[in-house]
Parts: sequence; structure tokens; C-alpha cells
Amino acid sequence: MLEARDLTIAYDHRTAVADLTLSLKAGEITAIIGPNGAGKSTLLRALNGQIPKVAGVIMLDGQPLQRLNRRSISRHIAVVAQEAELRFPVTVLEFVLGGRFAWATNSGWGWETERDLEVANAVIEETELRDLSARLMNELSGGERQRALMARALATEAPILLLDEPTANLDLSHQATLLTLVRKRCDQHRSAALVVTHDINLAAQFANNITLMKQGRAVHSGTPQEVLTPEILQEIFEVRVLVDAHPITGGPRVTPIISA
Amino acid sequence: MCFLCLFVATCSAVSRRALIILLLLAISFGCKSGAGQRVSLPARVTRVVSLAPNLTEIVFAVGAGDKLVGRTSYCDYPPEAKAVAEIGDTLHPSLERIIALKPQVVLISTSSQLEVFTRQLQNQNIAVFVTDPHDLEDVFRSIQQVGEMLGQKEQADQLVTKLRERTTAVEQAVKGKQPVRVFYQVSSEPLYTAGHDAFVTDLMRRAGAASVTANVPGAWPKYSNESALAARPEAIILPTGGSMGSVNSDVTEALRQSPAALQGRVYKINDDYLTRPGPRAIDGLEAMARALHPDAFK
Amino acid sequence: MNRVTLRKTLISCALLGAVLLLAIVSMSLLGSERLPARASLCALASLGSSACGLTQDQFDILFQIRLPRILLAAAVGGSLATAGAGYQALLRNPLAEPYLLGISNGAAVGTMISLVFFGAIEWTRPLLAFSGAFAATFAVYRLARGRAGATPERLILAGVIVTTFLSSVIVFVTTLMDATRIRSFTFWLLGDLSGSSKALLPVAITITILGALTLTLHARSLNLLMLGERDAFDLGVEVGRVRMVVFLVASLLVGSSVAASGSVGYVGLVVPHLARLSLGSDNRISIPAAALGGALFVIVADTVARTIIAPRELPVGAITALIGAPLFIYLLKRV
Repeated sequence: MLEARDLTIAYDHRTAVADLTLSLKAGEITAIIGPNGAGKSTLLRALNGQIPKVAGVIMLDGQPLQRLNRRSISRHIAVVAQEAELRFPVTVLEFVLGGRFAWATNSGWGWETERDLEVANAVIEETELRDLSARLMNELSGGERQRALMARALATEAPILLLDEPTANLDLSHQATLLTLVRKRCDQHRSAALVVTHDINLAAQFANNITLMKQGRAVHSGTPQEVLTPEILQEIFEVRVLVDAHPITGGPRVTPIISA
Repeated sequence: MCFLCLFVATCSAVSRRALIILLLLAISFGCKSGAGQRVSLPARVTRVVSLAPNLTEIVFAVGAGDKLVGRTSYCDYPPEAKAVAEIGDTLHPSLERIIALKPQVVLISTSSQLEVFTRQLQNQNIAVFVTDPHDLEDVFRSIQQVGEMLGQKEQADQLVTKLRERTTAVEQAVKGKQPVRVFYQVSSEPLYTAGHDAFVTDLMRRAGAASVTANVPGAWPKYSNESALAARPEAIILPTGGSMGSVNSDVTEALRQSPAALQGRVYKINDDYLTRPGPRAIDGLEAMARALHPDAFK
Repeated sequence: MNRVTLRKTLISCALLGAVLLLAIVSMSLLGSERLPARASLCALASLGSSACGLTQDQFDILFQIRLPRILLAAAVGGSLATAGAGYQALLRNPLAEPYLLGISNGAAVGTMISLVFFGAIEWTRPLLAFSGAFAATFAVYRLARGRAGATPERLILAGVIVTTFLSSVIVFVTTLMDATRIRSFTFWLLGDLSGSSKALLPVAITITILGALTLTLHARSLNLLMLGERDAFDLGVEVGRVRMVVFLVASLLVGSSVAASGSVGYVGLVVPHLARLSLGSDNRISIPAAALGGALFVIVADTVARTIIAPRELPVGAITALIGAPLFIYLLKRV
């Protein structure tokens, strides 16, 4: 669905991403993990078409990303932001309806259709925001706001979801809720998701694929079992780790060893 | 006033608004000082600086031109004045230049609103003579005071006598004639006119004119276009052609269908005669009277 | 507050439009000269074809002086409020307005240049005013660009810098002008609707209507932009294009107002605020409402300016400030 081949992105004198090849498949969650400055966020922005000058190709459903216009990209790719700028009062419903913009028939003008309302209300239901849909966004708690951001991204009905550290500001219960939503989407609607995260253990539970990045390169790629080994993790993070099997899920569980 | 306006323009947006309101209140009250007020005068004056064109003209007219050591860039009459050193314009005179010329007294017109400046000069032990003639009598008084101060009393008195004669001659000539309803146009866009406190209003009265704005408070009010139209003036006076150049040489749009405009009774008079309360004001008086009552001066 | 629908928008705009029309008619009955109310209304209803018993002078006052001035006030108010609404949405800052950002000072400098160097040629005034406004907008935007993009905070800061710089330029040019021009120019700088020639009026009205329409047609994009440029981009808005459109249109609107009437302040700040407070932040309704509300506001303010010390006049900018500043303080407290 979304593919990057030999992607290289250079800023000033730094190379943010180098010769990266990645492929997102329908129904799968891919996690991108790496130390700070590894180029994860840059990669995500490039996949969304936000960086115009790249070497290499990014293909969306077989078409080069550069050839597509903004609106059609938005119909295929949705970004779940980390936080929203809420300087003006807006209700949750209005906020979520913003996700329907890409489907508007007139650019910049027009009114929401019945379908738009249906979709918005459905995703509000899905993200358990029904009781809050008439409230103002800046009255919501952090977790509720994150769900609203998720709802807006889901409202675009885009089959590809890009999430940039979505659990960074969330408590445990909300972390679980969010990723469960993503998992459900991928399972039920055959969406593909790319999650940039620092939380290795969460990724181990939810991701089908993990790509480890270091200094702009995709150093290792594969299932959590394949790539979450002490050797690889030490190579990437330069830290000793203990990897054992999670007693309940059976998947890999990573614990850093911090010597006194 | 103008100095304050410029100061206001440089302020930040918020405080500017507050100052604007204060400024407008000040304008509407007008300035009401009379003729000269003397401040600590030396015995014999040999060096004087003038900060207004009318005062420069008065200095030369009383024969004390050789005592003038500094003038503003607007002081262009008489021609001999141009040889005198400049100390800036009427709104921004240079304190340093004035001090460097070592005058004993500085002549200031309050219409330039230089109160702060006045204090600075006094701090330098320079005497300040402030005057703001509101009518012709004030002008005569100023001439006599300046003349006395500069040791030219006799010449000043002679000048005033002659000017009075000319004034009386004009007043006699137009006596008994129906005063002509006149609109005095200071500028056309925006429309400004001469109000109750303006010097030229007194001149118009003596010239046999009834200024339609004679009772409007203030000296130079901004006037409503409607009221100008409704006033239906019989004549319009355009001060222009002097220092103003060709500015203000057209009648404002609201008055283009007035009786004055339709009958061609639009009179352009050298603005220097009408805006400088000095000896040439009589020239302005005569010019206006001749234009408004030509049959009285055959 | 309910979601904004087409119906809600049309009803609100129709109501505001009706109030505006009422204001135009009623304010034209007020002025420094008294006109007979019945006859005036009759003449207005006949759109000037019948004098209805007014004298020639009264007819001229009504149709040649008052009505054009009221219509110009509407155009200026509509333009400034629309431009303010556009800037506030684009810059994501409820405090953005043409004055704070130096746009009107840019337009004023442009107008001054045209007056001083091209005095006789009238069409240079709006043209140079627009150029000045656009140049100032561009300067503000470039100044504000940091590594994180042009955040609203940086924009306001850049705007203040540009405003104060241009204010000094204006002071500089006024000192070069002779004393006779300074008085009238200072009055103009405070906002003066009395002087404009009638030739500029149809241009001003056209620009107001076209400008408000254009920005309203981008209202949905602006709704998203109001919540963040990156988010808007992700959701399908062509951010660069919309930004350029808003800058161009807003500069045109401000340039046209300043060229016609000098700097009328607070309209671009207070009116869009009021529109959003009463009708919601959705630009599809708040932009047209701001346009109509701005027209109303300046018409009323100008009527006060030209009647309160009749037959003398105050600059309309003084009245908008007198009304606008306390109103703005009140609004700030509510938010």
C-alpha cells in the first residue's frame, strides 16, 4: 500500500534518512523504533508527503507520492498527531468532522454531508467519545483529547494510518485503548498502520513488524521475535538489555539492564 | 499641536489611541493666549532669534533686521531674511544651533506649541518672548513690543500708525456695505476652515466679510462637508500661492455648486498674508476687501 | 453551540444584512445639517429619482455627501473586519489584526508615497496602498519564520517590529512635509471618511465584496488552519496556497481601506471577535458575519464622528478606538 524505496533525505549537512526501504501492508501494524535523532519523525513526515525533496521513491498504491495532490494523499494517508493546537473554541464533533475535509467536493468551501455526519458519529462511538461530542475540545482531559485526535484520523477513512509517538502523553489505560483501536482498524478494515514509538514492549505486543532505525538507516526489520534480541538492541541503543518471554502473551519482553 | 500629533504618531498603538482622544479634546478647547508675554528681558538686545515667520517679518519691519541672528527655514520674507542662519523649522528648531548663536532673546509664537522648548531655553538663560496674536490689535501690540525690546521703538510706532491708517481706510470703505458671506478654506481634503479663534477671522470681519464659520469653536476646525454646502457662501477665499505653492488652489467638492463657485467669486489670496500675523496682514486685509467689495475701491 | 449549517449561516447573514440596510437608511438621516426625515426617506426610497420636496441643497447633502460617505464607511468597515478575521484564522491568533501586524502602516506609507510623489494621479493611491500592505505582510511573515515555522507568537512580535518601524517612517515623511500638510495628514492618519472622492467608492465596495466572498470560499480550509498548519496539511488543505490567498486578499482589503480613509483601528480586532463569540468559530459563518458587522460598526462610529461636535468633525478612528478599546477589554475578560 505505502512503500518507500532507497529513500534518502538530507538537511543542510545532515542526512536524516539514508537508503531506507520500507513497505506497509494491509492489515499490518509496523512499528519504527530507534534512538533519538534516528530519523523516525522525518521518515513519517516524508511518507505523508510533507517533504518535497527526497531522493528515492515513495509509492502510494503504485503511484509516486510526488505526483499526487494534497487532497488525494489525505484520503489515503491519515496522520494521528500528538497534540492539537486549540486556540479557538471548537466542539469535539466539529473537530472530528475536520477529518472529512479531504472528501469535500468543493475545495475550501462546502457543507458537511449526511455521510460525513454518519462517519463522524461512528468514529466518535468507536473511540468512546459519544458523551463528549458536544463539549469543547479544551475542556477534555489529555487522554480524551488523544482519542479525539484518533477519531479525526479515523474519520478520514484513510486506509493508511501514521502515528508519531501516540502514547507519549498517555497513561497506561489510554495507551492500551489507543493501540487496541489501531489493531481493530487494521484487522477489521484491512488498514495499514505505521507507529513511531519509544515504547518497545508496547510495540512488541501490537506490531506485526518492527523496523529498527539508527542514524537514518533501517538496520533491522522483521517480526518482534526476530528483531528484539539483546544483540540487536545493544547495537541500536548501546545499552545492555534482558529479553525474556512475556509470561502472559508469550512475546518478547525487553528490560534494560542499568548497572549501579 | 502639530508637535504633539507627531509625537502621538510614534507611540505604540494602544497608548496612541488614548493620546488621540486627549489631543482631540485639546484641539476642541483651542489655545487662548493673547498678545506677548515678556519673560526676563535684558537691557540692550543685540542678538535675537525668531522661531516663526511672522515674528521674523516683524523684526525686519521695525528696522531691527541686523539684530536677527537666527530664523526658521520657513522665514522667507523679506528677502534679506534668507541670509540669516537657519535653526530648523517651526516645529523642530534645533536647541543646539540656537544656543550656538548666543541670542539674548528668542521670539516664539505659541501656535507652534513649544512650551517644553521654552523651558529649555530659559534654563540656558536665554530670555523668551512669547506671542500669539489673535486679532489685529494683538498684532499691533506685538509689533510695538518687539520694537521696544529691540531698541526700535520709534520705528515700530511709526509702522503701527501707518498700518492703522490703512486698516481704518479699509474699514471706512466697506462701512455700510452688506457684509459678504464668506467661506475660508484652509484645505480642501480634508476640509478645514477658520474658526472663532483664528487670526484671519478678525481680518475677514474688518474686510467687510461675514465668515460663515466665525462662531465655530477653535482656531482651525475640521469642518463638515454638509454644513459647508448648506452655508451657501457668496464668496470663497483660498489662501494659496505663497509658501503653500499650488496646494489648496481648488474649491472643495462640497462647495463646487455654491453661489460663490457658480458666480466665480472664488478669490485666491497669498496665504502668507493671511496666516502670518505680522505687518503683511494688512496686505491680506486689503486684498480681501478689494476682492469682496470692488466697488468700494474705485 | 450547535454545529454551523447552511441554514444557520443564511439566516444570520440575512438578519445582519437587514440591520445593515436599516443602519444605512437611518444614519443617512443624521448629520451636521438637519434634513426633514419624511422627505428624506421618501427620496431614499425612490433611489434618488424623486426629490420628494427636499430643496436642491438638501438633496445634494443627502445623495452627494452623506450617502456616499455612509457607503464608504460600510466598505471600509467590511474590508477591515474581513481582513482581521482572515488574519486571525490564518495566524491562529485571536489578537491578530491589520494594525498590530503593521499591515495598515504599510498601506499608509504606500499612500503617503503616492500623495507626495504622484499627488495628481488618483489611481496610484489604492495601488501603492495595496503594495505597501502586501510588502508589510511579506516582511512580517519572513521576519517571523523560525525553524519551527512561523508560530503565531513570532508573527505578532514581527508585526510589532514592522509596525513601529513603519510608524517611524511615517513620522519621518511627515517632518519632510510642510506644516500646512501635516495637520490634514495627521487627521487622515487617525481615520477620516470625509475626504474621499467618489471615484474610489465603487472600487472600494467591489473590493470589499470580492474580498469577503473569496475568504468565505476558503472558510473550510481556514477552519482547519485555525487548529494548526501541520494538521491542516495532513487533512488535505493546500496550506501554502491558502496562506498566499489570504495574505493577498487581506492586503488588498486593508490597502483599499487605508487608501480611502486612513487608519481606522480596532475594527479588525473587535468585530471578528464578536462574530466568533456569538456565532461560533466556524469561518463559514463568522467571516461573512464579520464583514457585515464591520460595515455596521464603522457606519455607526462615523455617524458619531460627524455629528457629535457638529459642525466640526472628529476622525472616525478616534470613535472606533473609544468604543473598541473598552469592548476589547471586556472580551478579553470573558475569554
